[in-house]
Amino acid sequence: MHKNSKIISLIIVLINLFLFTLTCNASNIVEINQLIENTITYDNKEVTIQGELIGEALERDKYAWVNINDTTNAIGIWVKQEDIKQVQYYGDYKHKGDIVKVTGTFYRACPEHGGDTDIHCTKIEIVQKGNLVKEKVSHNKVITAAVLILIAILTLLVYFKLTNRPSKKHGNIN
Amino acid sequence: MNNSRIKFLNCKIIFYYTGWVIIGIALLMFIPLLTSLVFREWNPVFDFLISIAITTILGFLLILLGGITRDNKSHVQWKHGFIIAALSWMLLTALSAIPYLLSRNTNSILDACFDVMSGFTTTGLVLTQDLDHISLGLNMWRHVLTFVGGQGMVVLALSFLVKETSGAYKIYVGEAKDIGLVPNVKGTARIIWKISMVYLLVGTLALWIDGILIGLKPVSAFFHGLFMFASSWSTGGFAPNSQNIMYYHSFSFEVITIIFFILGSLNFGLHYAIWQGKRKEIAKNIETQSFFITATVASTFAVIALSKIYPNSITVFRRVIYNVLSAHTTTGFSNVYARQFALEWGDFGILIMVIVMLIGGSACSTAGGFKGLRVGVIFKSIVSDVRKLLSSERNVKVYKYHHIKDYVLEDGVVRSSALIIVCYMLTFAIGTAIGTYYGYPMADSAFEAASVTGNVGLSIGITAKAMPAMMKVYYIIAMYLGRLEFLSVFALIGYFIGGVKKLCTKIQK
Repeated sequence: MHKNSKIISLIIVLINLFLFTLTCNASNIVEINQLIENTITYDNKEVTIQGELIGEALERDKYAWVNINDTTNAIGIWVKQEDIKQVQYYGDYKHKGDIVKVTGTFYRACPEHGGDTDIHCTKIEIVQKGNLVKEKVSHNKVITAAVLILIAILTLLVYFKLTNRPSKKHGNIN
Repeated sequence: MNNSRIKFLNCKIIFYYTGWVIIGIALLMFIPLLTSLVFREWNPVFDFLISIAITTILGFLLILLGGITRDNKSHVQWKHGFIIAALSWMLLTALSAIPYLLSRNTNSILDACFDVMSGFTTTGLVLTQDLDHISLGLNMWRHVLTFVGGQGMVVLALSFLVKETSGAYKIYVGEAKDIGLVPNVKGTARIIWKISMVYLLVGTLALWIDGILIGLKPVSAFFHGLFMFASSWSTGGFAPNSQNIMYYHSFSFEVITIIFFILGSLNFGLHYAIWQGKRKEIAKNIETQSFFITATVASTFAVIALSKIYPNSITVFRRVIYNVLSAHTTTGFSNVYARQFALEWGDFGILIMVIVMLIGGSACSTAGGFKGLRVGVIFKSIVSDVRKLLSSERNVKVYKYHHIKDYVLEDGVVRSSALIIVCYMLTFAIGTAIGTYYGYPMADSAFEAASVTGNVGLSIGITAKAMPAMMKVYYIIAMYLGRLEFLSVFALIGYFIGGVKKLCTKIQK
């Protein structure tokens, strides 16, 4: 019995430790809008952001620009190309991009990049893999489209029938 | 002819031409439809099919209702021209909002109409949500709207769809494009479109190549190039991604857009004159002189005031001068975050931006604002009045200004210029007042009001889905008034008030 309670206590301590670590990690993450609203405070400081990779990587020599959207805003990340080799998906209409956690130095007006507000990445990790978004078209939408196209064609036919009739001249509007 | 018969025919004329304009927009919807088909975006395909069908039905119904007009085109009067332009813009806004609404990227009909009006008027403010995930088809539609809106969509539709256009000049003026490049409006509209299409090819090619060089994939670079050109040339300010021009992180991309948005903000008459070899026109024209002076003065003051917040001259050029020129040409591309204007630029920086946004680009261009021509005319009239005061009464001198050709500076021209400027300032003042009423700071409210009134599209952070509905409505009205330069809208309002008054009198009898 005593042995069992010891094991239970150990498990509880471990769970608490795990949860505490998670909370600490989460609290380190800064929202992009928070960075933009406090550019001077965060300027030249190390920050961690988490968000979806969007668009595509813009490769420049050994580095690349990737853009991250965390739903509050989006920002450019200057990252080594080798660090983003693992990235599979960038978000667009057909894809949900990989969710990444980026740690790096935030610049309000980066002197190296013509005054960009950016983050120079020191560490990037994929938190969640992205995926292909399956598109579903509702039946209602298909039926509505079909009915409306039919009516449009009928209107067109009526127009051509009426306009092909000999026209009458009318008086001036003065 | 009795009164009721005249009114009946008036309505028919308006219905007939408005109907053709609507058919024009239905045809334009085939561009995003094809884009979505090619890229297998099935939901947008059906969204555009539904929109095309609704637009076609309404268009042909109006044409049928106005059927008699087919034989009476020569009777288009000034009032018809103004009303057709104003009414078409309202109907087209509602119809063009259907794909937005069906895509579920906008929260309400109001937000969808806001974005369409923003596109048509080449403003560039955005309420569409999740821009980074919208379909290529819808993105194409956004940029088609802003490109066509810049050149004048009513004129486009009528010049290409209606055979007989003897009354079209009145509609053309109604859409705030009153320059005659050649004697007939059809020819003028075609020249405007020819100029735009040549620039479209050159601009898209330049941005496409540069896009590949800065790391975009070839197909993606093509669409980014096309969209960014459409926005630059039409001084629109839309971009395919939520970060606007910041998405590209590229000096070369910014420089190319500067070239095309400055070109887009110049008068079509000036482009045509240069195409005909009259290069001296650039230096002689009152609008280019006015733009050069105001842009230089504003940029200089902005650089002096803001150089302390940017580390070196390149960053000052890219962040300060780029945004000042983008505001002055009423483009609205921005490479700083909206909130950075409020938090970093300070009141003086905001003031400079407000002034240049209100001045805007050239008349009969794709730009908004109260236009360099009017600023030039008012400035010249002040100078001439002072000179008259200082010279002998016996000394009668005629003052002139040069705008494609020499014009005498008459009181009527000065009065109409001043009247339009007063209307713009009133719209701006009301917009600022509404902003402050809803609790936004004065400087922020003024910035956003100037942006909507001048059809600019820069934001200081007020324009958002959570913005009060009343402000969204006012901003739509301000964009509409600013683009049509008031007269057409006043004519439409007057026409309706007149109709209601007559109806009331009839009922009382």
